[in-house]
Amino acid sequence: MHGLAALTFLGISTLLRAGGDDVAIGRSISVATSDLSCDAIQSAHPAGIRFREVGDHTLVTNEAGRFAMLESSGSQSQSDPSFKLPDAIKTALIPENRLSKLAQTFEAAKRRTRAGPLDYLILVPTLRCNLACSYCQVSRAAIGASGHDWDDGTLAAVLSLVSSLSSASIKIEFQGGEPSLRPDLIEAVINAVPPATTASFVICTNLQIINDGILAIFDRPDVLISTSLDGPEELHSKQRQGDAVRAREFHKNLNWLIDRYGPGKISALPTINPQALPDPDALIDAYSSLGLHSLYLRPINFQGFARKRHASARQTDGSWSAYHERFIDRLIERNFLDRTKVLEETYFSLILRRIFQPGADRHVDLRNPNPVGRDYIVIDYDGMAYPTDEARMLTRSGVIDLSIGNVAEGWDSDARAALEAASTNDGDPTCEKCAYKPYCGRDIIDDISRYGTIDTPKEETEFCRRHLSLFDLAFKMIHSKDPAVRYSLGRWLGLGSDLPAMESAA
Amino acid sequence: MIPLNFEIQSDEPEPFVARLTREVGSGPADFVCRSQSESRSLWCGDHGLLEIVHNGENIEGDIMLVDPENGRADRVIRATSKHNTLLVTEQCDQLCVMCSQPPKKTHLDRFKLFEEACLLAPAGMVIGISGGEPTLHMDALLGMIESVLRERSDLSFHILSNAQHFEQHHILRLCDPVYRNVVWGIPLYSSDPVVHDTVVAKPGAYERLISSFEHLLLAAARIELRTVLTATTVPGLSPLSRFIARNLPHIEQWSLMGLENIGFAKNRWDDLYADLNTDFSDLAAAIDWAQLHGIATKIFNLPLCHIPQHYRSFAVASISDWKQRFGKSCVSCRAKRDCSGFFEWHPDKLVDEVTPL
Ligand code: SF4
Ligand code: SF4
Repeated sequence: MHGLAALTFLGISTLLRAGGDDVAIGRSISVATSDLSCDAIQSAHPAGIRFREVGDHTLVTNEAGRFAMLESSGSQSQSDPSFKLPDAIKTALIPENRLSKLAQTFEAAKRRTRAGPLDYLILVPTLRCNLACSYCQVSRAAIGASGHDWDDGTLAAVLSLVSSLSSASIKIEFQGGEPSLRPDLIEAVINAVPPATTASFVICTNLQIINDGILAIFDRPDVLISTSLDGPEELHSKQRQGDAVRAREFHKNLNWLIDRYGPGKISALPTINPQALPDPDALIDAYSSLGLHSLYLRPINFQGFARKRHASARQTDGSWSAYHERFIDRLIERNFLDRTKVLEETYFSLILRRIFQPGADRHVDLRNPNPVGRDYIVIDYDGMAYPTDEARMLTRSGVIDLSIGNVAEGWDSDARAALEAASTNDGDPTCEKCAYKPYCGRDIIDDISRYGTIDTPKEETEFCRRHLSLFDLAFKMIHSKDPAVRYSLGRWLGLGSDLPAMESAA
Repeated sequence: MIPLNFEIQSDEPEPFVARLTREVGSGPADFVCRSQSESRSLWCGDHGLLEIVHNGENIEGDIMLVDPENGRADRVIRATSKHNTLLVTEQCDQLCVMCSQPPKKTHLDRFKLFEEACLLAPAGMVIGISGGEPTLHMDALLGMIESVLRERSDLSFHILSNAQHFEQHHILRLCDPVYRNVVWGIPLYSSDPVVHDTVVAKPGAYERLISSFEHLLLAAARIELRTVLTATTVPGLSPLSRFIARNLPHIEQWSLMGLENIGFAKNRWDDLYADLNTDFSDLAAAIDWAQLHGIATKIFNLPLCHIPQHYRSFAVASISDWKQRFGKSCVSCRAKRDCSGFFEWHPDKLVDEVTPL
């Protein structure tokens, strides 16, 4: 442990506590709002300062997510009488007065997830699909199979769920199988949304066939299209049954839709095999040539159907993180050379926002605690309810049953409660010491799928390794003096110019 | 200009609230139109006859505070407007150098009438409260808000306040759920106490404001922070943005407001005006720092062509059309629909400093 780290809980947290007197509030009133209530603010505890070596620097963070990057001070120890708390820590992390102490308490509270009412719904109207991709993450059913679509009872229950939504806005995503095989079911769901709710819809489709029924749905302004684009045509075709004719059909349809609606309507995700990583530039070109400037890099987590064919992919080594980093570097170089557009990898942008903006994001893959079955739910073709799509796939593959209820009877179940109780990184011995805890999250489904347990020590999990390396990269870049890095970071964080220097305390 | 008060006649001895309607009324405040000519209209309700002198403006649906003794009615809530503001007092304990509504010494307490008027407001309306300084009459103000919102949870209030009067004992009261429908618009001009105190012309104002912020934070009060852009405040914007990110992360919005050539600012224009068209750098740095830390920032009252391209998305077309004015060459501008333009009372010599986009 670094010399400073040993000092942590003795010295600095005492200083934190001495920063000002707490106001005793006798009665607390909780209010129904997604904003922070009086309750949440008054009961939050700003806590410890944590350290991490990043490159040849030491990063210091606190529970509010404030941070400072220090020159490593070698072996200087707390017992050294000449040891002084570095000024950078003082200005960045130690509250200067009562107001800033309250502000940090507020931020620490705001970084914690408070799930509101259900406002993200993933629906699987059919499990049937007209493709059988080598990595298919869902168990799928043959195109002509029967009993793999919502039956009348399930449809009625889904419509009753949708029509009773209480949140002001909702996102409904149709997954499959191939949902475009059942435009009638999509239509029925869209029509069931209550008039007072603002809804947006996402159709996740393989774009093999576009008929009039699905086109009428695509034409709606509140509908977005999401598809998989694995890269240049050859690669795309290799990952999908190796069928060049079908791959060509897909590209033709994708181009046609982009012409028809512009790129803003369509998002595409590459499905990347960590054992066969594509050249970053080829992948970036495949996207940007279509006017798609945002990519979400994700390694396939082989599950279900795919697990049988790609048994080696359960545990990746450091190669994924190295690839991700190389990819970000390429984006940065390319953005700096061509200022007419901003290329971005959306997961890295999310990491950056999580660092600077308490509570700005409630991405279900990266939040803490990570509530289960509250603001987010997946309803399968047979009406079963799952906390995430990965949980659905894992169940389908017969590994473990992670269903938490069903659409007709609801999912306020013991299974939900059991999963939710574990869905946090609070109290985890590794996370509690980790400088990235305020920004990080918890994904128990990922742990279960890889290790069959949620008790694997954090530092041995793929989730943790991947995030340690992403946060390391982010903090190196935040403190980089390279103008190209500052240029891209500024744009990814929504600024009008380059990322400003952090020296004057974050 | 839209007239906000009218000459009236009524035999009622005491002030009262009247909602003007064409239909046969349903409530005690409803006044039904009996006749209308070019210059006046006659209305009838529980308080007898009410004659209003006006030039054919549509006042139907409006809610008036009628003061028979002075022969005057204040049009406090216009049914068709999104910008209704109740002037609850004209007293103020600050004297800001650019004040658009210079304060007066005396206070006329009309909170009960305002409360009655608010209860009649159209569904879903956001009602502005301004002054003077509304919180000089804190109990009456909070009492009014609570009574209105307990009965009308569809309404909300936006209150402009210098936040010099919040005390620790207000925290519990402000924790009441009705205050989720209340946003406090609070000015902060600098992170340097001396500069802030100079702008508001009140020694110690900054320190008092900070202690109010502590109370408001503990009450989870919703805050819109406001900074008027003047030659004094602009150079301090970047340090101010850092102060806000560090100490006021809970605010809902930071509003950067272009100077209005009205009130005190009129005679001090040349000293106060900051030429952002020529130098936007302080503003840019402040916006970037706030944005970086997730603080929603908006620019008000600045024409789009005075703002560098990458910062235009922060601008709001904030000046309503009845007090809005454009330069001659604006006709050819493609951004005109999204542009705030200038205030009607903006100095003539500056209105043509535009570059059509
Ligand atoms: S999962 Fe890993 S990176 Fe995330 S907080 Fe825990 S220890 Fe840190
Ligand atoms: S030219 Fe006129 S309309 Fe266009 S941005 Fe400038 S002020 Fe606005």
